[in-house]
Amino acid sequence: MVEAVESEQNEPQYKEYAIEEFLVRSEPYYRPVGDELELFTAAYNQHIPVLLKGPTGCGKTRFVEYMAWKLGRPMTVVRPLDSGLPPQDLREGEVRVPLVTIACHEDLTASDLVGRYLLDSEGTRWIDGPMTRAVKAGAILYLDEVVEARKDTTVLIHPLTDHRRILPVEKTGQIIEADDRFLLCISYNPHYQSALKDLKHSTRQRFISVEFDYPPADIEAEIVQKESGCSEEQASALAKLGEKVRNLRDHGLAEGASTRLLIYAGRLMREGIPPRRACQVAIVWTLTDEAELQRSVEEVVSSIFE
Amino acid sequence: MSNAPFDELETELGKFPPAVLDAYRESLEAMESSFSSEELLLWAKEGSAIAGQTVRSWESAVEYYRVCPKVARSLAFPSFMQWARCGTYLSQDSPALAVSFFKASPSIVSNLRPQYIPRWAGLGRSLYKGTWKSSTLSSRFFEVSPDLIRSLPFWDVEVFASLVEALSYKSYDIAVECLTLGKDVLPAMGREREAFLAMCRALSDGNWREVKSCFEVAPKALQQVDEGQTSRFLKLGERLTKVGIRDTSRFLTDGSNALSQIPTGSQAHILDLCEGLLAVTPEAVPCFLKSLDSVTHRVTLNQLDTWFHHGVQLLKDNPESGIAFFKVESNTSESLLETLSSSLELDRVKGVVRLYCRALSGSPIEVMNTQELVRRNIGWVDEDTASTDGTKVFLPPVVDHYQDKSQNFSWFKVVATHQVGHLEFGSFFYDFSKPALQFEEERRYALERERGAQQISDDVLLGDMEPDGQMRAYTDIGRFLSLFDNRRLAFDIFTVLEDCRLDYRIKAEYPGIRRTAIDVQSDTLSRRPEVEDLPLQEALVELLIRMSLDQFNNLPIPVDFREEATMLAQILYVLRSVSANVEDTAEATLRAYEIISRLENETQPEDQWEPEDMEEPGEFSEEEFQSLLDKLQASQDSSGDAGEGDPYDSPEPVDYRGDFKPEMVQLLTKLQMDQNQQGEGEPLSQEMLEQLLQDSAELELDAEQGDINNSTSTFAQNIMKEAGVPPPNSQPGQGYGPLLHDDDQGGELEAREPKTYVYDEWDFRANDYKPRWCVVKEKSLDEGDSNFYNDSLKNYSTLLSHIKRQFELIMPETFRKIYRMVDGEDIDLNAALEAAADIRMKVPPDEKIYWRRNKIERDVSVVFLLDMSASTAEAIDEGRHTVDDRDAPDDPVEYMVWLRRRREGLVRRHYKRIIDLEKESTALLIHALESIGDNYGIYGFSGYGRENVEFYVIKDIEENFSERIKRRIDKITPLHATRMGSAIRHAITKLENQDSPTKIMFLISDGRPQDRGYSREGVEKEYAVHDTHMALLEAKRKDITPFCLTVDKAGHDYLQEMCGDMGYEVLGDIWALPERLPMLYRQLTA
Repeated sequence: MVEAVESEQNEPQYKEYAIEEFLVRSEPYYRPVGDELELFTAAYNQHIPVLLKGPTGCGKTRFVEYMAWKLGRPMTVVRPLDSGLPPQDLREGEVRVPLVTIACHEDLTASDLVGRYLLDSEGTRWIDGPMTRAVKAGAILYLDEVVEARKDTTVLIHPLTDHRRILPVEKTGQIIEADDRFLLCISYNPHYQSALKDLKHSTRQRFISVEFDYPPADIEAEIVQKESGCSEEQASALAKLGEKVRNLRDHGLAEGASTRLLIYAGRLMREGIPPRRACQVAIVWTLTDEAELQRSVEEVVSSIFE
Repeated sequence: MSNAPFDELETELGKFPPAVLDAYRESLEAMESSFSSEELLLWAKEGSAIAGQTVRSWESAVEYYRVCPKVARSLAFPSFMQWARCGTYLSQDSPALAVSFFKASPSIVSNLRPQYIPRWAGLGRSLYKGTWKSSTLSSRFFEVSPDLIRSLPFWDVEVFASLVEALSYKSYDIAVECLTLGKDVLPAMGREREAFLAMCRALSDGNWREVKSCFEVAPKALQQVDEGQTSRFLKLGERLTKVGIRDTSRFLTDGSNALSQIPTGSQAHILDLCEGLLAVTPEAVPCFLKSLDSVTHRVTLNQLDTWFHHGVQLLKDNPESGIAFFKVESNTSESLLETLSSSLELDRVKGVVRLYCRALSGSPIEVMNTQELVRRNIGWVDEDTASTDGTKVFLPPVVDHYQDKSQNFSWFKVVATHQVGHLEFGSFFYDFSKPALQFEEERRYALERERGAQQISDDVLLGDMEPDGQMRAYTDIGRFLSLFDNRRLAFDIFTVLEDCRLDYRIKAEYPGIRRTAIDVQSDTLSRRPEVEDLPLQEALVELLIRMSLDQFNNLPIPVDFREEATMLAQILYVLRSVSANVEDTAEATLRAYEIISRLENETQPEDQWEPEDMEEPGEFSEEEFQSLLDKLQASQDSSGDAGEGDPYDSPEPVDYRGDFKPEMVQLLTKLQMDQNQQGEGEPLSQEMLEQLLQDSAELELDAEQGDINNSTSTFAQNIMKEAGVPPPNSQPGQGYGPLLHDDDQGGELEAREPKTYVYDEWDFRANDYKPRWCVVKEKSLDEGDSNFYNDSLKNYSTLLSHIKRQFELIMPETFRKIYRMVDGEDIDLNAALEAAADIRMKVPPDEKIYWRRNKIERDVSVVFLLDMSASTAEAIDEGRHTVDDRDAPDDPVEYMVWLRRRREGLVRRHYKRIIDLEKESTALLIHALESIGDNYGIYGFSGYGRENVEFYVIKDIEENFSERIKRRIDKITPLHATRMGSAIRHAITKLENQDSPTKIMFLISDGRPQDRGYSREGVEKEYAVHDTHMALLEAKRKDITPFCLTVDKAGHDYLQEMCGDMGYEVLGDIWALPERLPMLYRQLTA
């Protein structure tokens, strides 16, 4: 035991959770811009699945995290906890709202979500996939960039997102009714150019849609400062830069500078990287490879930062 | 067959050396099959005649008999005999000559038309002058003839022979060498051969030794010159030679070296220059070409022109110094290059500046040359001053203030930021009724009431019931400025103060630009006129300018007016705040005007001035201001009339701030707005506008009185055109009058001919379709040469292999086995073995032990629509003015003339055109599409008017790829206009019949849709854009994915509207089209 304590300093430190046991324990920073908190809470209470639309890096994922945290701390206790052996102890009054996030990709199949039989030394064994676990545990299931997933995943999404709230598990021949706290939430970036990847209307119409966009300059400055720890001046200059660069969205840039990138730039500045250089690596070069555009954005940077 | 004559002949031949008879007998057999016996006899006798000519002519006869069988194969008997006679004559002169002639003949006669044979023989004969050397030359000629005749037209051979003959008079050796060189050099040449020979011919008269060197250097030199220009280049050489310039071969090498450094499209221009120079001083041409390379490394081609013309001027005055200039061996030349190379042309940075302005302002601003603004003639006159009209920023074409490019660019940036600042910080959004933020009292209302009362009393006095004030109130700025008697003074103060506010604001908002801005300001300060020399009013305005340029120390202040100057400084200081708005500027103007206008505009004596610091003038207070005003008023009242002294004159403009014309901008915006809200209120008539312009202080109408009326009315017309207001001749009183274009009237059309189709068109104003409005005529494109297709593939071979690889990546997914799957067609042996091993080891194995084929079947149908409008004939040349469709006349006849003129102007160039790149891209795309087997159709569209939308089939969607399609690509040419909507609708029809699950329509264009009558009531652009948008929507409703690709850099402006949320891309760099098109397609369907 003593040795273990000694080596603790150098050992890599990480925490391991079972997927459905991951709770957002400390309050994530989220700065609401509109009524999205109320909307999400209402939808959660009413079991209405939520679709988050918006450009990359504008805070969709952070929002879901924040909601998972917030919903775990209701003013009044909704229902007592199941007994058992929670790896993470809940404090008094807390509700277990785990967050299961799945980044979708083009090879993501239905069985990756639902689960499958595994071979092991004694034979075969059924393993629940993340979706099944989320359904059972009553988690917020967040499918990021859902259009990327294979088409067969819609077979799972549909019965889960209407009044039935069930998950058919074909291979085991079971149907799982979702826990009362379960909510499906997906995100979607409407600016995709591929004709083959679009959300079908039958899918879309099972969700309420909350639109996200980059926050207005003053709020964005607040966010950047809070998240990156740079100075107030730098933060508002970065927000200004973000606003200006986004003006180019329809003039050659595929996407504007995301809040996330602004925060990166802010963090670099906090570490002492000169502002122009920080913006160059965090924003200009990230956004585009086209020389003329790069130059233009750099000129904007050099106007805003000394 | 009687043998007697033949026997006789044999006897005859027997008299010669036996070789003759042997040769005869040998070929006789072969000849018998070709000729009849009579003919055969004539043939045989000719041989004997040859042999009998001279002592040694039996050798010729031997050769004659030897080649006859081969020659006879290509010639009919009469021509054959003609040929033989030629040989006979030659052997008369020299048997050796005849031998060479006969030897060369077999390969000649098959390549040369028979009637040319005697001429050919004559060419060889003409080289023979009876001497041994000449006979060698002549024989040599016959020896090389087969090579020449095979690959050269006969007249070129004749010219060459005459060149050789001319040389032979000078030196047989040179002649022989040139002959030998020519055999290799000439066939390799193309059209330029003629010019080359002409040049050599010119040389042979004078500096004949050069001919040989020219032959030696030509192949390499000419390779470096653009194919289309070689003839001109050689012609230049010829002309130089004729005026006596020696060293032609040097010219060839140096010249071609120089040209090879010039971009292909511009070589013609360089040759233009050379030709111009030739007319002035031929000696300068080689010097110019020689220094060209180093010069073009330092300056751009446009700048080269400036340098060149300077040199030409010098040449005319003093040829010596001119030549030194072109050799870049003179100071003038060197320093001019220095200045030119550090100067910065707007065209080179326009793209960056435009995006910069758009980023700052957030609106689709265009950046243009100031010359453009002057050309429009709507009131801006200065070509060197930046300005903005609210949607475009105008910048001077060249900046050469500094000796350093980056500094010159910074200047551009400061100027552009200032102009955009007018938009960003609201100079043009002045609203009379909006409260100022910094000033507590709203003096303008009081003033307006005061003036209003005065006005009415004036009107009553004059009996004039036309209230002037109402007119001026058309814009808010106008309403404000009409409060002042001396509008010029008021406007000047307003300009200075607003610029001061902007400069302060910009420095606060954009700290990065602060340093440069300060540099530019202090630079400007150093060029300001002396305050002391100016009369009082102007001096005070000048003081304001200086303070606005951040000079607060050492300001010369007239001692008697210290109080006033301090008050002005206080007023100005109010605007130095980030929260000051344009309404504050107006209030400040009003106060400053009240002071300055009450002073006499007289020059102050020199000792009256004292330098003073104004850094802390103190807070502005209304009470102090009022008391100063009362004091001034009192002294004014006591001394009689106000503002006596010199007439007031505007200050020197501050160059980097440019022209500020808020009233004009508000006017234009208002006109445009009124235009868009039809029917509400009475629109401004041209007369009213003229009146307005005349009152405006912004226009510099310092022309003669007669001209003023003239020019205001031109301005007024142009302004109305600018704002999109229909010309006032459209029946005033009836609102906007009937429709403008003939063909807008008339009704539905019918498809009478086969392969014509009728489509509706969307009228966004009516919010409904115009039924059966356009006729689309489908035609198959003519077939040209398939070389274009093949050449394109060859030229882009690297890119092609890249594209192919990319496409292959999509394709094989259909067939590819995917390993390590959870389930599949069969067991993946590798994975299974691993799993088995794991089980043995009691480790949970990976369950992915199957493989399967990817079942996704690719089934895509796609239609490509190519824009074949006249504008695609535009040459691609950086910096060249883009064709502006806005000038297209509405009248059909004029329109055709305009189109033709525009097309002709461009076709003559040798540059690549947009359409060429479209064609090349199509070739590449077809190649790629063939490799993945998508179902595709390629169509071009153009047309003229709604009854004539041309839809050209390059490859129908159901047609298979073939040579014919390759040939059709060659014939894609710029035609007429672009009525996109109907073309899209027809393409939809084509796609609708396909049953692929994925259907794509790919539109490739070079600009906004436009056509005669593709508009309603003069709102040219919008109508077309809306119709196209609707057509694209229709496509989308039919499950077709539309995608627009445009090479128009200004495309973002309307594509946003036209495509809505449908995909589009603006290609910034047109050269990227061949690469981008296949890649986009891949991205779209992968």
